[in-house]
Amino acid sequence: MPPDAPLLQAHGLKIAARAAAFDDAIRPGEIAGLAGLEGHGQEEYLETLAGHRRPLAGEVLAGDETRIGSAAQAVRHGIAYLPRDRRTTGIFPTLSVVDNFAAATPGHDAKLGVIGGGARRSRFAVWRERLSVVARSDRAPITALSGGNQQKVLLARVLALKPRVLLLNDPTRGVDIRTRHALYEVFAGLAAEGMALVVLSTEIEEILRLCHRVVVFRDGGVQARLDRAEMSVERVIAAMFGRVA
Amino acid sequence: MPLITRETRVALVLLVLLVALNVALNPARFAPSAWGTLLGLAAPLICAALASMPAILGGRGGIDVSVGPAMGFINAVLIKTLVIDSGITSAWVLVPSALVMGAGIGAVNGAIATLVRVQPIIATLGTYLVLSGLTLTLLPAPLGGAPDWLKALSGAWSILPLVVLAVAWLGFKRLPLYEQLLATGSDDRAAYSAGVNVTAVRFLSYVVTGLFVGVAALVLTALIGSADPTIGPNFTLLAISSAALGGVSLAGGRGGFLAAAVGAIDIFLLQSALTYFNVSTFVLQISYGLILVASICINALPSVLPKRGAA
Amino acid sequence: MRRFGWLRVTGAFLVAAGLQALGSVLIEGYSEPFAIRAQLVLSSLLAVAAVGQTLVVIVGGIDLSVPFVIGFANVVAAQLYGDGWPFPLVCLVVAVLAAGIGAINGFLSAALKVHPLILTLGVGTAVQGAVLLWTAGFPTGSAPEGLTKFVSIGAQAWMLPVPWLVPATFVLLLAMMLMLARTPFGRRMYALGANPVAARYALIGPVRMWTLTYALSAVFAAAAGVLLLGFTGSAYADVGQPYLFQSIAAVVIGGTALTGGQGGYLGTVAGALVLTEINTLLIGLGLQPSMVQAALGAVIIVLVSLYGRAAHVRTMI
Repeated sequence: MPPDAPLLQAHGLKIAARAAAFDDAIRPGEIAGLAGLEGHGQEEYLETLAGHRRPLAGEVLAGDETRIGSAAQAVRHGIAYLPRDRRTTGIFPTLSVVDNFAAATPGHDAKLGVIGGGARRSRFAVWRERLSVVARSDRAPITALSGGNQQKVLLARVLALKPRVLLLNDPTRGVDIRTRHALYEVFAGLAAEGMALVVLSTEIEEILRLCHRVVVFRDGGVQARLDRAEMSVERVIAAMFGRVA
Repeated sequence: MPLITRETRVALVLLVLLVALNVALNPARFAPSAWGTLLGLAAPLICAALASMPAILGGRGGIDVSVGPAMGFINAVLIKTLVIDSGITSAWVLVPSALVMGAGIGAVNGAIATLVRVQPIIATLGTYLVLSGLTLTLLPAPLGGAPDWLKALSGAWSILPLVVLAVAWLGFKRLPLYEQLLATGSDDRAAYSAGVNVTAVRFLSYVVTGLFVGVAALVLTALIGSADPTIGPNFTLLAISSAALGGVSLAGGRGGFLAAAVGAIDIFLLQSALTYFNVSTFVLQISYGLILVASICINALPSVLPKRGAA
Repeated sequence: MRRFGWLRVTGAFLVAAGLQALGSVLIEGYSEPFAIRAQLVLSSLLAVAAVGQTLVVIVGGIDLSVPFVIGFANVVAAQLYGDGWPFPLVCLVVAVLAAGIGAINGFLSAALKVHPLILTLGVGTAVQGAVLLWTAGFPTGSAPEGLTKFVSIGAQAWMLPVPWLVPATFVLLLAMMLMLARTPFGRRMYALGANPVAARYALIGPVRMWTLTYALSAVFAAAAGVLLLGFTGSAYADVGQPYLFQSIAAVVIGGTALTGGQGGYLGTVAGALVLTEINTLLIGLGLQPSMVQAALGAVIIVLVSLYGRAAHVRTMI
């Protein structure tokens, strides 16, 4: 496989009845942005890539050309998804920080079926360091953390799946400005290591700052694709409102 | 909200089938001249199902499992304490007493479940045990002696309490409380943010449940014509099953008079048909369990069948 | 939250100890060895019956089929053993059948998103009807001697002055704590109960989890049914009825919230001790069974209101 071969491809994908089908390819090391007015298809696209949603037509293929049909299969092919609303779809409010971290990978620390507490904490420690999570203790309840730190723990949860493609649904929503910049650096670092990132963002500035290219959705289909050189607030907004970019 | 929701449709189809079956099996029992008696037989369960609904509508685990024992307790106090011990037989005393006792029990349940914030099933389980214990203490064995006017309410006049309840329910639906209750049951956080006093609304839902329990107790007393300490508790699970069968969502926010009534009539007709077959009570029990499971599963099917474009 | 959880468990144990002390002061012979042994045996039976309720409550459900499965196992075990089946085979058959019943409960509730309250009630009712039909309402059969000895209040476990049931329950307690705290399955149970939507994104399949958890629940209910056969000596389809509410009450008194995602089995064991203490104490004080029941209801409310209160809506926004 050439080093630049896509890790994830969309073929003839149709996510809304009224929209045209489209193709897309996500390559290692890139950060692709998804934009659009709320409800115009970008979120459906991201969830389809993650295997959480079935397309009306077309298919999503992993790097080895396997068709992605479920979220579990996506994860097996190195595709991880961080959903949008922390409170309703992310955190387990009654559980501790480290429990929240390990929720998607509880078997990784188990020997003969029994989880080693030390193994689990040291696995988390790596990510805590890298993402600079501020928590009084690993065993503190997740709800004791600030929104930004909760988000970092959730990011660590999906990164623990060791993905090659990371799908992020508005990852900086409700996160303070400092954490936000820290997250940008983390994302850029991950991409530099060869990971592919797809970031849905409701803030255009964020896309301009972070992404190498952007796909703008309108009415359930692709309205425009802009690369780094073409991206500007005006053009993205124009595309979002259906004026040709 | 439409009069008949999708969830109630299964119960309605079942109702038609069961009526046809019952009429075919036993025309005499279902002849128009027997409708009064028949309705009287079904009325306690219909009232109990209706009574269990307001608390369920409030959502977040809202439920009143003390409905049955509360009916039994009120039945015991009416006959033993008021009629036999005190010689009071006037409807002007007995009816208000039943309603006041029901509302009082509802208020206690509501206070424990909403103000003290003990989870509703535990709170009302506690009152379930208290009420059934008190009933047995007050009345160790069944005792006869309901006044004639009350007995008439299970015969020729059996439609009366149900009409009163229906009118009461229509009145309840016109209150702002009803809207607020549905809003709270659908999404209590959104309702709270919108300024609904969620605690007060839920508290009142238990009081309304209690008021209906008062009526259910009267209707039960009319039917059995006596006081019986063991008959009440059976109504709890039957009532909640009726409501669920009729399409009242145990998660809150969805339900109505017809839903609960149709569910209750289904269960009544089911028991009636199976009894007629003269099958053993065991077959009755199996069929009852299976039909309950089947109906709520069929109720749920449309909302979980995979839709294209969804996960 | 976690530390608060320990507080509730400790609280329940303290209440049990307090009731024991109160009983010793009020009632002569309350702390006699035989009385204590009886309490331990009764608590153990309740603790076994409440394992399943604890597990399903942690994943966010409830299981009203517990008493019916207890009765089912009680009657079927007696009948089969009476027919001359070897006892281990009887246990295996009962466990497999119970697991099947539980799996149906869990699968249907999760796959169809039906409230488990009604579903487990319906399945339980049907199961009990089937058992009664099979035995024509008059279950026969008997308990093997070894089983009777295993649970008999007067029996000895080696050097210990209690029957084997009590140390066995203790081992069960350790096993459950290990399973809940230290296995991937246990951790997934808490996650699923804490937030089912987030669990889906963390690839925790609700249908598989609920099917397994309810199957486990039914297996332990069946175990309680078989143990009760040894305790009472003869089969009775309604033997499980007191355990419907007692199993739920033990779970809640032990600090496991019915909203799911928290609590544990140690609390349930404490809850079982508390409930057995209250029962024994009230009967010892000479109350009629009906008043014992009433008082039990009041005490449950008071205990849960002391440390089992739910959160106010305003704290959830």
